[in-house]
Amino acid sequence: MENSNENQEPPVAETPANITVEDVDIDFLPIIYEIIRSLERETLDSNQKPPPASQDVSQRVVELHKKLELAKDQIKRLPGVEYSKEQQLEKLEGLRKQLRLKRDLLLKYRTMCSFDIPK
Amino acid sequence: MARSSSNISTGEQLISIIDDITLISKEIIENCIAMKHQKLCGGEQIHLTELLVLKDNELKETLKVAAEQAKTNQKMDLLRAEVEKLDQDIQHLQRQLKEAEQILATAIYQAKQKLQSINRANKKPVPSEDLIKFAHRISASNAVCAPLTWQPGDPRRPYPTDLEMRVGFLGRLSHAAGDLPLNGHMLQQTSQLGDLHRSGHLQEPPASQQNQFAWHPSGDLHMAVGQGSVPMDTRNHSKDNEDVELIAKIHFTSDFLRYFCCAARLDRDCEFVSKWIGVATIFYSFISWF
Repeated sequence: MENSNENQEPPVAETPANITVEDVDIDFLPIIYEIIRSLERETLDSNQKPPPASQDVSQRVVELHKKLELAKDQIKRLPGVEYSKEQQLEKLEGLRKQLRLKRDLLLKYRTMCSFDIPK
Repeated sequence: MARSSSNISTGEQLISIIDDITLISKEIIENCIAMKHQKLCGGEQIHLTELLVLKDNELKETLKVAAEQAKTNQKMDLLRAEVEKLDQDIQHLQRQLKEAEQILATAIYQAKQKLQSINRANKKPVPSEDLIKFAHRISASNAVCAPLTWQPGDPRRPYPTDLEMRVGFLGRLSHAAGDLPLNGHMLQQTSQLGDLHRSGHLQEPPASQQNQFAWHPSGDLHMAVGQGSVPMDTRNHSKDNEDVELIAKIHFTSDFLRYFCCAARLDRDCEFVSKWIGVATIFYSFISWF
């Protein structure tokens, strides 16, 4: 899906390519669940001692962090999210009105048959 | 100052939700790692978990809105392309209309001028016959160029002829001085010329007048009488030698003017030739006077 909003301020300075909503990975809960589960398991194993953050948990936390950042980056590249829904509908209506006016103007030019005579 | 949700873009909302999820998950993980006495109570932990699930649902809902907005954005792109195309059409049409307006304005201005001329002409009508007569009079004088059918020996001139010059002021002066006595035909010729002008038939003189006067190679001015030719007495017998010289000068001048006449026929540069004919005429008068 191409975004060609030349007349509007681009929300993101450099958007190499737009993506769809389906491409955004937002499955954070399973990773969080995995992290909590790993931590609880380690806590039980260490007999009430403060559990040291294991390698596995650290990896999962880094993975979660990367996933969150990636999701943010993907959201910035989504087309049409630079406005709220209401604003976007207003702009859509404005464009429709503009189109209607321009069509009327074109029709007026094409059907006009008299000119103002300069004095 | 908090912005209302209608002013916050969907993208910002999504990023804000992800930030919230980041914070909540961080809080939950830290709570898991923390010592037992530092851990949050169960209720707070459940509350955090519920908040996380709520934010996750909110994120999914907002993404649905984002999907709708993507479709709306597609429609907007199509509309923008159409508006741009119409813009180009309008600009093209405006340019054409402007050109047409300029052309019409010029045409109207010229037409108005023509109408003014027509009105002026209608106020002072001139009969076509008078106009034709006037045209004949102008063309008969051959004031600026030689006649189209001019040949050597043709008495018509693009400049004043000998007789016309002698009738003029300089000619009269010379006649009064007695240097160039004209024969008694002068007044008669003058009256004939006057009649000619009055009759309005100057373009083609009558056949009897066309070859009435002609320069012969001998340098004498001959007048046609009937079938023959009588040499005109343009000399003063008491000053034969001077007269011969004068006639030679006149002959030379006449040839000089004939050359100009031919040049006028060839060139047709009216202004130039008329200017030089004027010069030549003055020169001729000067010679005649002496």
